[in-house]
Amino acid sequence: MLDPKVRAKYKVSIGIECHVQLKTKSKLFSGSDNDARSAAPNTLVNHIDFGLPGALPVLNREAVRLASKMGFALNSRPQQFSKFDRKHYFYPDLPMGYQITQYDQPIIVGGSVDIEVDGKRKTIGITRAHLEADAGKSIHPAGKDYSLVDLNRAGTPLLEVVSEPDMHSPQDAKAYVRELYLLAKYSGASDANLYYGNMRFDVNVSVSTSDALGTRTETKNLNSFRSVEKAAEYEISRQIELLEKGERIVQETRGWDEAKQKTLSQRGKEEANDYRYMPDPDLPPLILDDEYVAKIESAMPMMPGEWRRRLESLGLSKDAIETLIDAEVEEGQVAYLSLIERLLKTPQAARQIANWQINVEVPLRRENKLEGNLKDEDRLNIYQTAYELFTSGKMNSNQTKDFLMLMMNQNSVPADIEAFATDKGLVQESDEGEIGKIVEEVLAEHAKVANDVKNGEIKAIGFLVGAVMKKSQGKANPQLAQKLIKIQLGL
Amino acid sequence: MAKISRDDVLKLARLAKLSLDDAEADELANDLGEILHYVEQLQSVNVSGLNPTDQVTGLTNVMREDQIEDYGYKPEDLLKNVPRVEDNHIKVRRVL
Repeated sequence: MLDPKVRAKYKVSIGIECHVQLKTKSKLFSGSDNDARSAAPNTLVNHIDFGLPGALPVLNREAVRLASKMGFALNSRPQQFSKFDRKHYFYPDLPMGYQITQYDQPIIVGGSVDIEVDGKRKTIGITRAHLEADAGKSIHPAGKDYSLVDLNRAGTPLLEVVSEPDMHSPQDAKAYVRELYLLAKYSGASDANLYYGNMRFDVNVSVSTSDALGTRTETKNLNSFRSVEKAAEYEISRQIELLEKGERIVQETRGWDEAKQKTLSQRGKEEANDYRYMPDPDLPPLILDDEYVAKIESAMPMMPGEWRRRLESLGLSKDAIETLIDAEVEEGQVAYLSLIERLLKTPQAARQIANWQINVEVPLRRENKLEGNLKDEDRLNIYQTAYELFTSGKMNSNQTKDFLMLMMNQNSVPADIEAFATDKGLVQESDEGEIGKIVEEVLAEHAKVANDVKNGEIKAIGFLVGAVMKKSQGKANPQLAQKLIKIQLGL
Repeated sequence: MAKISRDDVLKLARLAKLSLDDAEADELANDLGEILHYVEQLQSVNVSGLNPTDQVTGLTNVMREDQIEDYGYKPEDLLKNVPRVEDNHIKVRRVL
């Protein structure tokens, strides 16, 4: 472990490049299926992906639309003019001998992402984001003298989002990649499924004792928020230790060893930074007119930042808000925010329902415990009914939770929800006559306690209320029970 | 005349995956030097206000709809052009 005093001498700067896989049906420049998750090798390929002579790439319209949406999500807007270039290098997973990308005139220029770390808000600058085609995938069978290449992924549309070196700790880096994930999800640009490598991160780290940036290293191909944080942490310590020993940092590409939790030098690719970019003559430039851009802008869904502001206005805690923000776009979850949104005019109801979502529905869905297939409209109806029954005292908080669990498991909503809940024994008894009878019985059975209460030991009333609850099998409204006990004891 | 060194030529050859013998390297250094010299002459022309001519068709926004295309052949036909195939993979010299 690095001495914190030594660590404090150094200013850390982190910049991140993130490849976001765009959610298209077909590839960026060809008509092969873009979903390679369960396909046999080299089955989602064509002459364009294989780089056969004479093959002509043609740009996918949907990829442009999704990249534009991501541009707005990054607090930017798509450029009026952008173009495509060839980046040359030789690798077996790149059959054309060059990658089609955008070099000096990318689709997105500038932008920002807001993050919050330890209660402090920070703005991370976005340098640019460009469209490019992914390469294929190589595997290296153990103990063999060959590698195997699958080109199913070759040509998959990526948007590479490049940040400024505005992050200064591993926690900043982690918060930034999580926010990028949310932006990709909320904008609809990507499935952003980390398990399937829909987002891959390259982390540039440098340390310096002055304001100038130090020599940086780039740790490539990280695929989780945690590995970004860990790799940054490791590089910071490694670089500071080297400098403390009087050694120098080598500018290089490194890989992350998940098992050893350390970065390792990847010397093989050192030669490769002379890419000889040139404009791709096969691809005419892209010009997005004001009308197109305005149309995308007006169709943008609400981004996490705006949702947070609305949820904060309800007085929800930060943790509660982030739970909802995450759950909204998780696999197997459902819409939460739009339900809350519709109740914003009655903030107390909105807040209560948000809390039930967080404490009941979200956890049940995370554990795959809900089988019902309700429409959002039905769920809203259930939440609103729960709120009415709860605030009118017909259900206590435990009953409301049981009610929600039961209702969310239905496939449709009964016409009379309250009658249904009563039938299931979930509505508390507020009939004074019924409860009055139970109170009478309880006072007779516990005459001594009743007497104590009557003689001023008012605390003991809790015991009597408990007895009434027990006798009514939890259905009595406790406030009403207490009131009736007092009346019957003449208090 | 513009000069390009033998080392420059060898570096370019390496990046382009070409193997050159000594005579070829010398010859190319000479040829490329002349080409550079010609480009130098071009650079004396005033081109301010002109866009680079990296496109000659005048086309813009050539795009396709996001659909899966049937190109009229099977993907495995593509593998017929591949020198070595194993388990549907393209087999290459080990790269890692």
